[in-house]
Amino acid sequence: MLTPGEVRVLGLGNVLMGDDALGPWVIEELLANWEFPQGVCVLDVGTPGLDLTPYLADADTVILIDTVKADGAPGTIHSYSSEELLARPGGPRLSPHDPGLTDALLALDLVGCAPREILLFGVVPGMVARGIGLTPAVRTAVVQAAARVVERLSCLGFPPRPRPRPACVSPWWERPAAADSAELPV
Amino acid sequence: MSKRIVVDPVTRIEGHLRIDVEVDGGKVQKAWSSGQMFRGIETILLGRDPRDAWLFTQRFCGVCTTVHAIASVRAVENALKLEVPLNAQYIRNLIVMAHAMHDHIVHFYQLSALDWVDVVSALKADPARASALAESLSPWPKNGRLELAAVRDKVQGFVEAGQLGIFTNGYWGHPAMKLPPEVNLLAVSHYLQALEYQRKVNQIVAILGGKTPNIQNLAVGGVANAINLDNEATLNMNKLYMVKDILDEIGTFIEQVYFPDVCAIAGMYPEWLGYGAGVTNYLAVPDLPLDTRGRKFDLPGGTIFEGDLASVKQIRTFDDWYFKRNVTESIAHAWYDGQWSKHPFEEETVPRYTGFEDSRKYSWVKAPRFQGKVMQVGPLAQVLVGYAVGHEPTRRWTDKTLQTAGAVAKAEATPAVLHSTLGRHAARMIRACVLSELARKHWALLAANIGKGDTAIFNQPVFPDGEQRGFGFHEAPRGVLSHWIVIRDGKIANYQAVVPSTWNAGPRDEKDQPGPYEASLVGNPVANPELPLEVLRTIHSFDPCIACAVHTLDPGGREIARVRAL
Repeated sequence: MLTPGEVRVLGLGNVLMGDDALGPWVIEELLANWEFPQGVCVLDVGTPGLDLTPYLADADTVILIDTVKADGAPGTIHSYSSEELLARPGGPRLSPHDPGLTDALLALDLVGCAPREILLFGVVPGMVARGIGLTPAVRTAVVQAAARVVERLSCLGFPPRPRPRPACVSPWWERPAAADSAELPV
Repeated sequence: MSKRIVVDPVTRIEGHLRIDVEVDGGKVQKAWSSGQMFRGIETILLGRDPRDAWLFTQRFCGVCTTVHAIASVRAVENALKLEVPLNAQYIRNLIVMAHAMHDHIVHFYQLSALDWVDVVSALKADPARASALAESLSPWPKNGRLELAAVRDKVQGFVEAGQLGIFTNGYWGHPAMKLPPEVNLLAVSHYLQALEYQRKVNQIVAILGGKTPNIQNLAVGGVANAINLDNEATLNMNKLYMVKDILDEIGTFIEQVYFPDVCAIAGMYPEWLGYGAGVTNYLAVPDLPLDTRGRKFDLPGGTIFEGDLASVKQIRTFDDWYFKRNVTESIAHAWYDGQWSKHPFEEETVPRYTGFEDSRKYSWVKAPRFQGKVMQVGPLAQVLVGYAVGHEPTRRWTDKTLQTAGAVAKAEATPAVLHSTLGRHAARMIRACVLSELARKHWALLAANIGKGDTAIFNQPVFPDGEQRGFGFHEAPRGVLSHWIVIRDGKIANYQAVVPSTWNAGPRDEKDQPGPYEASLVGNPVANPELPLEVLRTIHSFDPCIACAVHTLDPGGREIARVRAL
């Protein structure tokens, strides 16, 4: 459950679309290696479009991780502030996916429950197409982006603690198709 | 001379919809609906364990997460003839209904209200008169003069600061905008409140589904919600009552805000109860199972042909042959190799892009057909089938809607007006009212069943050698969703998802029958080709969702949308 006033780390992206899985990957990386103090929520939110709104509402700070269309070689990490994210016009919408981060932020601003601060770590993807798996440069960026998140949380006064025995990072979507899968948790 | 308009949003979301219309004499003469990205995500599932399929299908689309998870487990259960414990059915039903109510509210307020509501006009409203008007329509307590004045001032502040923010996309001042300032102010106020209720419904999915937006509590054969009323870590009394409280709050919002708002807009734009019918063959599937085998349902499904409610034929079970036999997909006008029309079990997905050609191939979306006929799916289909078979809550809410909208329009409204652009909005609202009642009913059924001492949640699936075929359907917020699976020796050998927006947004077929979007646009007025608000009104009324794919942000603010009048 989401708690007002907390710091939220949200990974955005589609795990079935190549490098677009970057955001969810970073979340897996963080959860495998770090324990987070109370007041921090770490979540893979997929590709929610306007349904992103509830995950931004009433947060103190939101750290987003996503792929971005920007200059630089694949794997390059850019960071963006709220102002930079909002300085961009909207356009006509056809589907519930079209309004995205900017629209969600503007709507919350109007209601008065926008997060105090937003920070986006955006990674330039190499290959975004149907299929599972990251390109090598973006896989490297997962570790770097996770480190940036940890650093940022520490600055905010919520330092994560390294897990005594870090788990192996193996997201469920990377399980090979042919191998026998584990029993579902029932 | 005819003029061509292309609405082609180039958003950060790939895989969007493109609409082309030919306008002559101020009316649309011809239309083309085109999906601009290859999906084919199903191929990722080949060779995988069928028990894992729902985890992957849930990621097809970030907006329609739970619906693909539900359809997937139902498909595997159908293939294995596996029963699902009652508790699991009720828990799934509650998640499905919470998701649908959330989706309908968001669609109306956040995604389409601005097609009808002029935000800037709201600034001219008198809050006292707006409040008096609201009181005549609804007992909702948040329509007070002071509250409405505060909303007006807030919007005024945004306008003065030069940032209309979320409303930037609105077509204010457009000649097709007709609501008086007071109604516009009420709508803006409810737009803001809807954001709050959208978050509340989301909590239900989080309590029952483990996490949102991607739920974690499903399993082929049931759910993973351990039930122990006295244990903090499981589904317990405390959590059940949290769900009930939220359902009550949402129900009040739907009945006292969403209902009167849609009736008022329908009554004040009566001409839009005449445009946008398009295809009047309808398809809906039964949902909200009330037993373990999927033979008894709380929402009826079936077909209606040529708008004739007397032609209704019901689809009755999760294994219904009438549905199973009659679904095909045509690629005559879609960018795939060949010209076939095939049953989903037999389909293959081999992309072959050849550019946009009006009379040949022009879309990545296939064209689904039922007995070879074009069908419209969605809340309107479901409400009409419910009305035709005498489903009590559907009839009651439909009659109440027609009566209230008719009173606003000062004209009689019959069910025939539902075959229209605003009819689709009305049906979505009617469906939300029905679901809000049924959600409380299913909550009570779940509580009573647990109270009897039944805590079963799961039946273990067993995969025999050889081949099994199954299909699972779900009446999702945008209509009929079906997943079709072929299992061979315990692994997925074929998988197809026929999604609601494929039924509605699909292109022409081998007989050149246009799809529902295409047919619904013909005859729509277009006052200004540079601002084709009327085209958006009709397309939005279907609640399109065809992205189902990628999310790459574009913080640089490059070209993100274009409307071209050629």
